[in-house]
Amino acid sequence: MSFSDGHKFSGESIAHIARIIDHIHLGIWEYNTDTKQVKWSPGFYTALGYAPGEIECSYNYFFEHLLYYHDKDAFLKATYHPRQGGSPVAHIRLLTKQNGYQWFESTTQKHDAADGPVIYGVLTNINALKVSEIKIAENEFKSAEIGRIAKIGSWEIDAATMSLKFSKEMFDIFELDAQVKMSVEEAISFFEPQYRQVLTNAIENGIKYCKPYDVEVLFKTAKNNVIWVRSKGVPVLDNYGRCITLRGIFQDIDSIKKKGITLQSSINLLDDQNKRLQNFAYIVSHNLRSHAGNLKFMVNLFEESPLKDDRTEIFSHIKTISESLSATMGHLDEIVKIQSEISKERKVVDFETIFENVASALRTNIVAADAKITTDFTDCPQIDYIPAYLDSIFQNLLTNALKYKHPNRQPVINCFTQKVGNEIYLVFEDNGIGIDLKRHGEDLFGMYKTFHQNSDSKGIGLFITRNQVEALGGSIQVDSTVNVGTKFTVKLV
Amino acid sequence: MNTENKIVTAGIVDDDEIFTYGFKKLTVIKGLFDQILHFSNGKEAMDYLTDPQNSNHLPDVLFVDINMPVMNGWEFNAAFEEIKSQLGKNIAIYNISSSVDLNDIKRAKSNPLIADYLLKPIDEVYLAEIARGLQNPTDKRRYN
Repeated sequence: MSFSDGHKFSGESIAHIARIIDHIHLGIWEYNTDTKQVKWSPGFYTALGYAPGEIECSYNYFFEHLLYYHDKDAFLKATYHPRQGGSPVAHIRLLTKQNGYQWFESTTQKHDAADGPVIYGVLTNINALKVSEIKIAENEFKSAEIGRIAKIGSWEIDAATMSLKFSKEMFDIFELDAQVKMSVEEAISFFEPQYRQVLTNAIENGIKYCKPYDVEVLFKTAKNNVIWVRSKGVPVLDNYGRCITLRGIFQDIDSIKKKGITLQSSINLLDDQNKRLQNFAYIVSHNLRSHAGNLKFMVNLFEESPLKDDRTEIFSHIKTISESLSATMGHLDEIVKIQSEISKERKVVDFETIFENVASALRTNIVAADAKITTDFTDCPQIDYIPAYLDSIFQNLLTNALKYKHPNRQPVINCFTQKVGNEIYLVFEDNGIGIDLKRHGEDLFGMYKTFHQNSDSKGIGLFITRNQVEALGGSIQVDSTVNVGTKFTVKLV
Repeated sequence: MNTENKIVTAGIVDDDEIFTYGFKKLTVIKGLFDQILHFSNGKEAMDYLTDPQNSNHLPDVLFVDINMPVMNGWEFNAAFEEIKSQLGKNIAIYNISSSVDLNDIKRAKSNPLIADYLLKPIDEVYLAEIARGLQNPTDKRRYN
């Protein structure tokens, strides 16, 4: 210990100070690097839980038995290579008598005495401090990890200054490299335009009226990735109930939200399918019931009619009913087939090839109607589709266009494909009699719905077409004007 | 048939040829109506009713199917309501269908214009009752 002259303690005072030091569990040691002589203060023993003299006072004993092997380097470094401009400090673990290894702060200083260079050191038990420090670091690490894993950041807006503070995770979600200072307006500009007002209002209401908020909105990161985020804010109040801080969390919920959206669209699809099936069951039961009703009617009449001629005619009707029943069963099969064929492999098919096949199968009808047909599949010549479906779609639409031609003019049928983004459309236009969509729009794709007094209207074609298109996730739309023509726009994929 | 009974003309409005044939045959065998008119959809029936030439040959009763092309039963009901007051005759309208959909049944039965909704196949006994009521209006009044 060296004190300047003006502050010199008397010998008695020094002894007193030594006693105080011993009582506060501060250990003092000295080590002569030449003579290897070691001295420990009584406080040194007490600090380790021993009585003075209970353990061997030697450099070797300290180094081999007390000092934790992991901390040897740190201790040596601090002892022999003192930093400039102050006492070197090392945090080391020493084995105590009762409490295992404890953390100590070791401060050392070199001093040249008459009998050689001496190193002095002070040991302070800092275990409690060190443990809480480690705990704090652990907690910080954990909370940072939780934030990182859950992709949650936290933020605060000071109500008085409107200054915005972000946690580190916020910058990760914003995909900003540097932790830049941002204003509330700048932060809001990262949100997609349609949500900016929502956020502005939420923050204003939070600060002005202490209203908490919780919204799920679209957000564009600094790297231009558009993601779904959840922003939640709660006001922190002062004693007068005014909001002094708006505090909140900010979470990247993109994957959850997108799964939710996918789920919703599956639910909608299932809902549609369910409705179609219900409608289908209703139609089938209606259709079968009317055939069955007629059959019963005719059988009764047959029994009640004594005349042979009547009986012959009634029997011919019974035959017709039996044929109708078979036809209905055939339609049923076709509809069941849509569902079973959906699992069949999709193939890359040529629109042109399929169209040619269908047109050549319908050659007689086309010639009979004297129809002028133009096609243009250059915008999208091919599609990955179930070939049988595409075949059937072409066949039904072409048959329809021929069947419902206008009596006063040559039928002109125009068929082409369109590619819009990833979507492929097939368009079928005719100049036929058209259909009053106001009256029949809802029923157009229904089963056994016919709107024209046409002997070969069966009301099954468009029903099948719609089912095939929808089974593969597409949709079908119709525009029509009576006496002008009809346009079917089929979104295939 | 009682000679004092009035002549009754019935009309069947239905596109189902087999049902129409059976209906006509049945009424002949059972002697229910004196005359039968047939229209294969609502529009044909409407054209007949509104043609002045037919004003002396209007039916007493019409059996109107629901599912028909061109003009279906519902559309006929609505159109009939429009012209009803201009007809020189009170025509009873019955809807007939094989639909057991409760909505269809309610829709017909709640219309004061429609005497009743008959489910196909037609109940012969009920049909005979309707015919008797029309042949002998006083009887009908007594039972009502």
